[in-house]
Amino acid sequence: MTRDVLLDHVTIRFGSFTAVDNAYLNISGGEFFSFLGPSGCGKTTLLRCISGFVEPTEGRVMIAGQDMARVGPNKRPTALIFQNLALFPLMSVAENIAFPLEVRGVSRKGRRKRADALLDLIALPGVGDKKVYELSGGQRQRVAIARALAVEPDILLLDEPLSALDLKLRQHMRTELRAIQQRVGLTFIYITHDQGEALTMSDRVAVMNRGVIEQVDAPTAIYETPRTAFVAAFVGETNVIPGTVLAQSGVQVRLGTPLGPLVGTAAGGRRYQAGEAVQLFVRPEQLVMDAEGPIAATVEKEEFEGATRHVFARAGLQALRLSRVNAGAAGALGPGAPLRLGYDAARASVLPASDGGGAIDAGLTA
Amino acid sequence: MSALAAGLKGFAGRYGPGVALFVGIAVTVWVVLLITLPQLAMIDISLRGSGALHGGTGAGHTLSNYAYFLFGPNGQGNLFDVAILLRTIVAAVAVTLIDVVICYPVAYILAHVASGVGARLMVLGLIVPFWINEILRAFAFRIIFGSTGLINGLGTSLGFLAHPVDFIGADVALYSSLAYSYILLMIFPIYNAVEALDRNQIEAARDMGASWPRIHWRIVLPVAKPGIASGATIVFMLTAGALAAPQILGGPSSLWFTQLVYQWFNEAGNWPRGAAYATVLLVTCLGFVLLMMKVFRVPIGAIGR
Amino acid sequence: MSAASAGGGGRWASTGYGALFYLFLFGPLLIMTGTAFNSSSFPRLSPWECFTTDWFGVLLNDRRLMDGLWTSAGIGLGVVLIAVPMGLAGALALSEIAPRLRAALYTVLITPVLVPGVVLGISTIVFWGQVGRALGMPTTGLFFDGVFLTIAGQVTFVSAYAMLIFSARLQRFDPTLTEAALDLGASPGQAFRKILLPFLRPAIASAAFLTLLASFENYNTTVFTILADATFTTALASKVRYGIDPSLSALAVIIIALTLIGAITHEAVMRRRAAILSGRAARSRLYGHPAGRLAVHPATILALLVALAGLAVWQGSRYDSSACRAGVLEERRALQEKLMQEQRARMRQTAPAPAVPTEPPAPGGNGSGFGGAFGSGLRPGGSSAAPAPTPAAPSPAAPGSPPPAPGSNPAPATPFGGAFQGIRPPGG
Repeated sequence: MTRDVLLDHVTIRFGSFTAVDNAYLNISGGEFFSFLGPSGCGKTTLLRCISGFVEPTEGRVMIAGQDMARVGPNKRPTALIFQNLALFPLMSVAENIAFPLEVRGVSRKGRRKRADALLDLIALPGVGDKKVYELSGGQRQRVAIARALAVEPDILLLDEPLSALDLKLRQHMRTELRAIQQRVGLTFIYITHDQGEALTMSDRVAVMNRGVIEQVDAPTAIYETPRTAFVAAFVGETNVIPGTVLAQSGVQVRLGTPLGPLVGTAAGGRRYQAGEAVQLFVRPEQLVMDAEGPIAATVEKEEFEGATRHVFARAGLQALRLSRVNAGAAGALGPGAPLRLGYDAARASVLPASDGGGAIDAGLTA
Repeated sequence: MSALAAGLKGFAGRYGPGVALFVGIAVTVWVVLLITLPQLAMIDISLRGSGALHGGTGAGHTLSNYAYFLFGPNGQGNLFDVAILLRTIVAAVAVTLIDVVICYPVAYILAHVASGVGARLMVLGLIVPFWINEILRAFAFRIIFGSTGLINGLGTSLGFLAHPVDFIGADVALYSSLAYSYILLMIFPIYNAVEALDRNQIEAARDMGASWPRIHWRIVLPVAKPGIASGATIVFMLTAGALAAPQILGGPSSLWFTQLVYQWFNEAGNWPRGAAYATVLLVTCLGFVLLMMKVFRVPIGAIGR
Repeated sequence: MSAASAGGGGRWASTGYGALFYLFLFGPLLIMTGTAFNSSSFPRLSPWECFTTDWFGVLLNDRRLMDGLWTSAGIGLGVVLIAVPMGLAGALALSEIAPRLRAALYTVLITPVLVPGVVLGISTIVFWGQVGRALGMPTTGLFFDGVFLTIAGQVTFVSAYAMLIFSARLQRFDPTLTEAALDLGASPGQAFRKILLPFLRPAIASAAFLTLLASFENYNTTVFTILADATFTTALASKVRYGIDPSLSALAVIIIALTLIGAITHEAVMRRRAAILSGRAARSRLYGHPAGRLAVHPATILALLVALAGLAVWQGSRYDSSACRAGVLEERRALQEKLMQEQRARMRQTAPAPAVPTEPPAPGGNGSGFGGAFGSGLRPGGSSAAPAPTPAAPSPAAPGSPPPAPGSNPAPATPFGGAFQGIRPPGG
């Protein structure tokens, strides 16, 4: 309870622009929770609202059951790790980490002791007297975390803290962050536009688009059963096949498409009318070569990327893409080769076509 | 006003009510008590009759002091004073142009040719003369240009000057000294502007076969323009408002307009008329600068950057 | 310098132009420096009479200048104490308010820099005079006091200089640092004191320095606001207006020397900081070796320069030019004698012709070398107020100094030492 965050119908407007639209969300204590979305989707605004730099225009932010209205950022049980880390350049590493203690009036000796303990925690012992600019990117990252932990917050907020790091370091820091979170048991609220980060680290992910939270779910559910076209398109690669509903039985939907009749699963148990315009989403790795498959296509080109081969195919006007694991007998496919493709209908989502078609484009280009 | 209040509120959130209060009070004192009210007081006293000598309040307002500037004591026209004003403006423009011509190459060299130790030494060399008191700079030019000064002394003793030349009377000393004094204030704005220019652009133009004059005219000068405008404004205003150099180096027949203001104020003790002359100077100079900025399409925000 | 980009010709042209430019810049200073050491009572390089250091003594015994120095120091202190916080407030206000209002406020605050100093001076005394009268203050009251008025007048525009410095620094401030401090539990006041102020510290130092200099140098505004009193600069101006002598060159030499010492020390500080920041210091052999580190430490360099200057002062104060001066005087007398004899001879030849004495060069002269040309329309006949250049009455505080012969050397070291301490800006 003490580490819960409740966003109670939070709306944030700047002038006529709505940055966050009616967000309702309960984050429970000790959870690693991520907000995922393209830049400008309102996730950073929401984070700044939780940390107290932005007041909600409507609704309430509740932390541990307490309304945070008019509670300044310095009075909230949160600590924010900024995108650029915001380490104080004029202070040493230890002074940075001990800053929260300094403003509370802890003695110099007590501060130093705590700073050293935190440096041990983040596996950087002995760098306390260095200047911030003498550290590497990954070390700074960890110092920023240690400084935030020195506040002894209930909730740690992280604003894309890994975006400045190179790929290898980023992957390493993912595991590191998750490990730290499990060690200290705090609620982590993590903001990112990188789905890899969100999916690997989080207990739950909220996907945001244009100020609206589109789906809140566990990473697998977000990927496997997206609830909106935006989520389906933004998280991971996907093939989008437009069509009209022919019939629905239970969650199984039969639809007519330019590629012929196909079958998919109605996400979220939604009911469709016959003739309704919908879209069928099939992940590239779900699309497999299958002599019995319903789709006939020809290969346009193939790209080789180490562990996987990406095949770009075409069926009439519809571009299709499939990923093949580079193993066993997976040989190269020449351009013009005919293909027969199939997929698991239970893992292909049917979603209403009207649901933010533009957002899909935005999601794909983001 | 509401925007100001919002600004202060933002301040209070960031740095606390104490800092917001300090900023609010300090800026108010500065704007109201130091900038606005004194100017209004000066205009007010300039509109009073000579009953208001030494700042006493005369009865009612009158335009007589301005009329005196335009028409003189007999109402027949005050060619003398108006001519001095015009001469001051023209001379200030000339000094400003001289400084632009002198400083543009130096700023360019500093920004794009010199580097390392050379550039640092150049900057140091610019700053050192600027530190010498303005009075002493004028004094130096008196040593050089005086009738028994360095040039006349050398000239006559070496025989290429038959008689000492009256550099002071010809205002050569004055203009040189003014141009000398404000060089730094011209170079730095131009330097700041030109430095932002990507050197690749110069090299690209060079690569395409452009001549040096063309490169400067088409590529460097447009970038330097705001800097030149900023520097020119500052130099013009300082030159037109200069008092020490004309007092020290001015010839007997050529007064600077500030000297007229000084005479009315400090020697004739006629505060209203002195204030009127000061107002005339202020309005003329600001008007001229604004006109020039309009002509060259430069915003006032560029000044001092 | 990249010869490839500038081309060979361009390189030569810019070098040549640069050389000419710096000649123009330094020529007057060098000439002034030279005249400070020539015993000729008019500041000149030719004819060179005798090398002397007596003009420094003359300078230090100029009561009006020295009194003005103290007045200036007081005013400068007041201006720094007011203008620096005020400039900071202005810069902070500019950084925080809405963009549209920002342009307007910037225009208002920058205007005093552009307004002629004469106008500022007049408006200041007029306004405070009116306020003083409205409050029924006697004319001895604060608002009629030259020092107060000068501080008020100078602060008006000097604050804008400080503001420009702070604005430039603030533009490089990362506002998330303040947010981070707040988020980490600092109160807004603590965020200001512990994060923003330390960041601004270098700007505070340069603003304080620049405002002090601007205050000290100012003439146009001060000459009105100081009323009957005099600052160093106004005293200097009246001295220059009504007759010049090489003691002013001596002053220039002192200022140039102080400037050079300051500039070199500053350069050393900057280099050290750059070296440390770039991490070069840790690798460099110079910085790595303790002796090398000590040798290039700014404090060492400053101490060295001060010692050098002190040595020059000490040597200069011991230098006695009286013998040479006597020689020059003797030469002149001989020349004069010869001329007179020639004239007498001529008179004897063309007996009754009226005596037209060839004017001999007046020994010592009175400094008004420009004669009528300098009466200037302002104050007729004000040109012969030059102090008689009997250099350096020996300091009474210096026992055992040689008997006061004409042209005797000033008392050893003390007056010079005093001058250097006095001229160096307080806290600078």
